[in-house]
Amino acid sequence: MSQSLLIALVAIPALTAVVLWALPVVTGERVAAIVGSIVSGLLLVGSVVLWWDMGRLHCPCTFVGTSTFGPLPRTLPGKLSPLVDIDVSWIPSLDVRFHLAIDGISMPLITLTTLLVFVCCVYSLKITPRIGRVRSLIALLLVIETGVIGTFAAADLVLFFVFFEVVLIPMWLVIDIWGDDHDRAGRRRAATTFVLMTVFGSALMLLGFLLIHRQTGTFDLAFLGQHPLKGGHGIPLAAAVLIAVGLAVKMPLWPLHIWLPDAHAKAPTVGSVLLAGVLLKLGSYGMIRILLPVLPDATATIAPYLAGFSVVAIIAGSLACLAQTDVKRLIAYSSVGHMGFIGLGIATMSPEGLNGALYANLAHGIITGLLFFLAGAIKDRHDTSDLRTIGRALYARLPRISGLLTYACLASLGLPGLAGFWGEMLILLGAYHPADWLPRSTFIVLMAIAGLGAVLTAAYFLRLIRDLCQGDPAEYPATAFAVDLSRIELVTFAPLVLLTVVLGLWPFTLLNEWWVV
Amino acid sequence: MTLTWTDWQAIAVPLVLAIGAVAVLLIDSFWKSASAELRHTVVTLLTSAVILFGLVFVWAQRGGFKPAFCRPAVEGPAECSFVFEPLTAGLWAVLLIGGLGVVGLSSYRLLAADVPIGEYHFLLLSALTGATVLAGARDLATLVIALEVVSLPSFAMVGLRRDRRGSEGAMKAFLVSVLSTAVMLFGISYLYGVTGSLYLTTVANRLSGLDPDLARVAFAAGLFVIVGFAFKIAAVPFHGWLPDTYVGAPVEVTTFLAVVSKSAGVAGLLVLVTTGIAPDGSHLRIVVAILAAVTMTVGNLAALRQVEAVRLLAWSSIGQVGFLLAPLAVGDAQAVVGYLAAYVVVTLGAFGAVAVVQRHRPAGLLTDYRGMVRSEPGLAAALIFFLVVLAGLPPGLAGLFTKFAAFQAVIDAHLGWLAIVMALNVMIGLAVYLRWVAELFRLPADDPFSVDIETPAVTMISLFAAVAAVLSVLPSVLFALGT
Repeated sequence: MSQSLLIALVAIPALTAVVLWALPVVTGERVAAIVGSIVSGLLLVGSVVLWWDMGRLHCPCTFVGTSTFGPLPRTLPGKLSPLVDIDVSWIPSLDVRFHLAIDGISMPLITLTTLLVFVCCVYSLKITPRIGRVRSLIALLLVIETGVIGTFAAADLVLFFVFFEVVLIPMWLVIDIWGDDHDRAGRRRAATTFVLMTVFGSALMLLGFLLIHRQTGTFDLAFLGQHPLKGGHGIPLAAAVLIAVGLAVKMPLWPLHIWLPDAHAKAPTVGSVLLAGVLLKLGSYGMIRILLPVLPDATATIAPYLAGFSVVAIIAGSLACLAQTDVKRLIAYSSVGHMGFIGLGIATMSPEGLNGALYANLAHGIITGLLFFLAGAIKDRHDTSDLRTIGRALYARLPRISGLLTYACLASLGLPGLAGFWGEMLILLGAYHPADWLPRSTFIVLMAIAGLGAVLTAAYFLRLIRDLCQGDPAEYPATAFAVDLSRIELVTFAPLVLLTVVLGLWPFTLLNEWWVV
Repeated sequence: MTLTWTDWQAIAVPLVLAIGAVAVLLIDSFWKSASAELRHTVVTLLTSAVILFGLVFVWAQRGGFKPAFCRPAVEGPAECSFVFEPLTAGLWAVLLIGGLGVVGLSSYRLLAADVPIGEYHFLLLSALTGATVLAGARDLATLVIALEVVSLPSFAMVGLRRDRRGSEGAMKAFLVSVLSTAVMLFGISYLYGVTGSLYLTTVANRLSGLDPDLARVAFAAGLFVIVGFAFKIAAVPFHGWLPDTYVGAPVEVTTFLAVVSKSAGVAGLLVLVTTGIAPDGSHLRIVVAILAAVTMTVGNLAALRQVEAVRLLAWSSIGQVGFLLAPLAVGDAQAVVGYLAAYVVVTLGAFGAVAVVQRHRPAGLLTDYRGMVRSEPGLAAALIFFLVVLAGLPPGLAGLFTKFAAFQAVIDAHLGWLAIVMALNVMIGLAVYLRWVAELFRLPADDPFSVDIETPAVTMISLFAAVAAVLSVLPSVLFALGT
């Protein structure tokens, strides 16, 4: 049953998209959002059932997560240990198999994807970009869902690559068609930069996969996890560099992040949410799933550089945020900083760092999703996302929305008790205890700088709150027609708000699952 | 020399194609009483039947090995001029499918009325005869003659409409081709002088044992032969004739040039490489690899700036040839044939769609396609699919996996620099096709393209789309062709 559920999770979104496109235009436009909400809701239920089912079958009954009992096992999560497995021969002459498998690492990310797509579809029931064409928008969102779930579930390097690329053209269209309608040339440029940089990165990644295949004769991730490609220089190193660069474009790590601010700022709200919430995770997931388990020695060689670039990303992203005057661009740059934290966690090659990275992945998906929804809400009401034009004193004008914005900002800057805290804390801990074969002093310096970055994060978010929410209401009178939080917004934001608290107060369920793996 | 039964079997397909060519010419000239529609239909059916015979033959004999026109050699195995083997079967399948597609796209009401149909189909079948012989040729003389049999009818087809642009295109192609033949013959004469044989296997054997001075001559000779082929397949820097010729010819003829002529040239080059004229580790392979890198980069960069659909396809076909040359440079026949097959199917489809639009909007600009997802959803969906396959991205998995196989061949042969250039070109190529896709999606359009599409065009384009979709789901079919 689990197997058919997994196949359904991958196939149904794309099939629904095809059905939507096959409908006549008028009917399609009317029912698209409803159909999309129902289907993505069912998929969300399906993914939760699959997760529960998987946990029931393979109960991690030993409880080792709480660090008070003895030393932690220093095994790294990331190695694929398939709990649900589908393996079919596809192209024998190229050694390519249709191999899907999921475990405790991919399943939470798949659930995050189904959740965010569901939320986006429900949001589109009432709130859509001005240009309309809801049918195609929903269909493309569903195609993106197929691509992302497929990437998270792929257990064959080539299949991973294929699903990785499935996402590109739909996302390009989403930005190009439904993007910022004040800046036509800008949104085209943003979309094209996004798609071209990513496709070049993934082509480089493919070269890395082919090098692995040349050395080992297989693309199978489960097998490669058990029999990694040893050696820290020569071909394995070249493969690791190519794969790391390819994934770093997607993630994105400084200095390959240049596509990100434009793409996020110009995309429509649902596009930004998915871009930040799940697409960036493809990069970090790939590093955890492929780079570390398959090329351990070569990754150790490049890990200090990866950590260095990540820390530069944290600082550069935060400083860029301080200089932004556009709320969507600011949140986009904050993603650069947060993904830098995740990169640092991965580069420590320690259980704490990796678990932190995995946790931060989820937390960032939820919190940044919420932030982009709120930014979209503010933008819809003022027809601009420019901070100076919007003005201050949002607490008085839109009390609920600005309250939620403050909440999301606090979660994002890592306030203890909310989701953002655990990931960053664990990552810094991991940098304090990097793997034995990594230079510890370097990582401690990097940890200190990253800690400074966390302070900068607090600085820019507090500045955002001050510049946007606070201020004298008398100077910025409320516009008469601007409604505070509408019902549909309340419904769509609520799950994200709740999950932020749940992940903040109850991190151990997830962390245990990874620690045992 | 007497012809044996094996000889007859091996050349059955080219022979039937040649007989068919003469037959359609005679029918068209001596049956003037019938209406144009009836004549056109009969000629189309006859041509298709002849090509279908070839496909059935290939299918029936796909595993076979038939050396033909052999003579016992002084030492070693017999030398043969013509061999039907699995690789030949794969190439024939690609060439014949390409030919059949062009015939389908040239049915009544699709082909411009001022093109004489008898001559058109005669020339098409003649060129196919040459192409099939070329794919099986195993001696240099047969190779050259077969290549000429492909080329000469092609220029005649470009000039069939007898207007100024057509004549100019035909003239350019003709002059370039004559030049390239001369260059190639020059190279072949040197190869013969150095090795004393025209049979490819014997030439390859003797090349490996040459003393260094002669080896340098042989390298130059091989270079000339490759340059000759490079002219025919329009590899950069021998590509100057191609864009004008493509634009000057009727769209159906352009399709033929892009599909059949180009495949024939690649097939000839593949035969040369796999039979050992350019063995593993020889400098000639490096030359081909450099040719591949330059061709794909220049082709794609130039395509980036085109505003006419046919010109864009012309330049991007140069880019595609670059990608074909990459696995060719490392002698991976399976990857080459697979790539060729996918390229042929989607190029037929893309040109078919362009022909539909061009019949009603002769300017042929990319902006003519604006908003077609709404006004002509079926045609737009098919065209987008073809373009995505050409770019090599999902959902066009046929294109993705053939590019993948090319990458794999290059990486396995330790040509890292070529792989990086290819990765860059995947990016540039995507930019090329996305410009067009963006036009198709752009709404609202002032004057969207919407017409009653001719039934044969609908049939053919749906057929190509269906084949491309099947190949995307089961890419292993593509790679089974080359083995």
